[in-house]
Amino acid sequence: MLGRGLKRKLSDYEENMAGLSSAFDSSRNLPYPLKRQLVLNMCLTKLQTYKMLVEPNLHRSVLIANTVRQIQEEMRQESNQQPINVCPGIAPSNPSYTGMESSGISLQLPSGISQQESSCCDLRSVEDPIENSLLIVSDDDMSSAISSILKDLDFVEDISPPTCLVPTGDDQPKFAENTSLKLEDDRQDLKGAECVFGSFEISNSTSYLKDLAIDDIFEDIDTSMYDSDFCCPPLMPSRPPSLATEEPLKTFPSCNSSSASNIQICRTDLSELDHIMEILVGS
Amino acid sequence: DIVDIKPANMEELTEVITAAEFHPHHCNVFVYSSSKGTIRLCDMRSSALCDRHSKFFEEPEDPSSRSFFSEIISSISDVKFSHSGRYMMTRDYLSVKVWDLNMENRPVETYQVHEYLRSKLCSLYENDCIFDKFECCWNGSDSAIMTGSYNNFFRMFDRNTRRDITLEASRESSKPRAILKPRKVCTGGKRKKDEISVDSLDFNKKILHTAWHPVENIIAVAATNNLYIFQDKIN
Repeated sequence: MLGRGLKRKLSDYEENMAGLSSAFDSSRNLPYPLKRQLVLNMCLTKLQTYKMLVEPNLHRSVLIANTVRQIQEEMRQESNQQPINVCPGIAPSNPSYTGMESSGISLQLPSGISQQESSCCDLRSVEDPIENSLLIVSDDDMSSAISSILKDLDFVEDISPPTCLVPTGDDQPKFAENTSLKLEDDRQDLKGAECVFGSFEISNSTSYLKDLAIDDIFEDIDTSMYDSDFCCPPLMPSRPPSLATEEPLKTFPSCNSSSASNIQICRTDLSELDHIMEILVGS
Repeated sequence: DIVDIKPANMEELTEVITAAEFHPHHCNVFVYSSSKGTIRLCDMRSSALCDRHSKFFEEPEDPSSRSFFSEIISSISDVKFSHSGRYMMTRDYLSVKVWDLNMENRPVETYQVHEYLRSKLCSLYENDCIFDKFECCWNGSDSAIMTGSYNNFFRMFDRNTRRDITLEASRESSKPRAILKPRKVCTGGKRKKDEISVDSLDFNKKILHTAWHPVENIIAVAATNNLYIFQDKIN
């Protein structure tokens, strides 16, 4: 009569996610930005999973993409209200992170939550497992690596202050949230969604994918950490449709080893891109 | 005749059609619902390409209940005309709404199916249950409506008396000729005897499909591996 509920057998990952979402539901103390980040992470993970399905569910993908857009818009508006941080050397008083769009994946870092020292890295010292789990995708090195990738791939167009992106092992995030990357956000937001729905309409020409020699870029990246148990939303550098010159990225001169290990997680996405390219080129 | 809401760029796709039904009496009229919680009524006589609706039904959002999942739970999973043709009913994740076809700006009745799930939306999103597509149905006289829930529960609402009841479709409680016992979900505080707490609900046992005989008080309830046929005695 009582207690009919059956416990599903969960894998480790599922247990983590179930734990996080239970915490979301039951905790009144979770700060809003953390909640939002959790939801965003879940959305991105789902989108990534759905992309790999043989028959992706359009209804679900649309709903999740809309949720992602809504969260991104909110974060963008919040960061618009923050002072713009300039180049390294000046420790920003309001650390803010840009939202950067990857193909189909949007890696959003917590927008300036705290004022003083509690930057992203300081949160690591918090024993709270919830926050630590969220930091899987709030890695300072990762954010620096993303900035480096974007810079090297020359995505930043038409900007007036040049991006001041420096990978750093320091605790304080040093790269700037500047208008140029925001411009990229707007353009790349749609692209993220396009890549989500791209599988539903292969006839959509995505010629920019053909132009890059993607394999060259990541050839010399060490993949030994590929089998990490963490579920990190894979990183993918975005490609704006208007990319005219294709300069295969030869090196990551500015990446240190830890950020390289984060970058190589995107190899899974590379093979997917390859697959998409085959379809496009073949048609 | 076609309705096509596909945008020129797939990347701009933000809404999909989720359900549709023809009017029971006017064969040229149909409605279709969307993932954004809206319903459009179209008349095929006005044009072959039914991209312009005759009526547009949408309830304004309640800002106090806004959450990250607001849009997802507003997605309509089923739409059904009443037998009279004067009303239609929509099912979204947490509620059933009855609309008067002559009033587009809000439903005339709203019934909460399992409001206690509102505080569990993140977990339900994580395990994908939030995307479950429940159906709904009218009884023959349009005086009652029925829809499914989790834990093999299904709910009936009497539109006149405003009574509602929760029943369970399961082997244990469904010996032939046995009268179904009303169930109750405990939403907080001390759980009374025979109540089930929200955390004990089995979300794998969901009743998505129900049907009501158009004339008799007989219902069919589909529960995972079994189909239950009940004689409804409420009315």
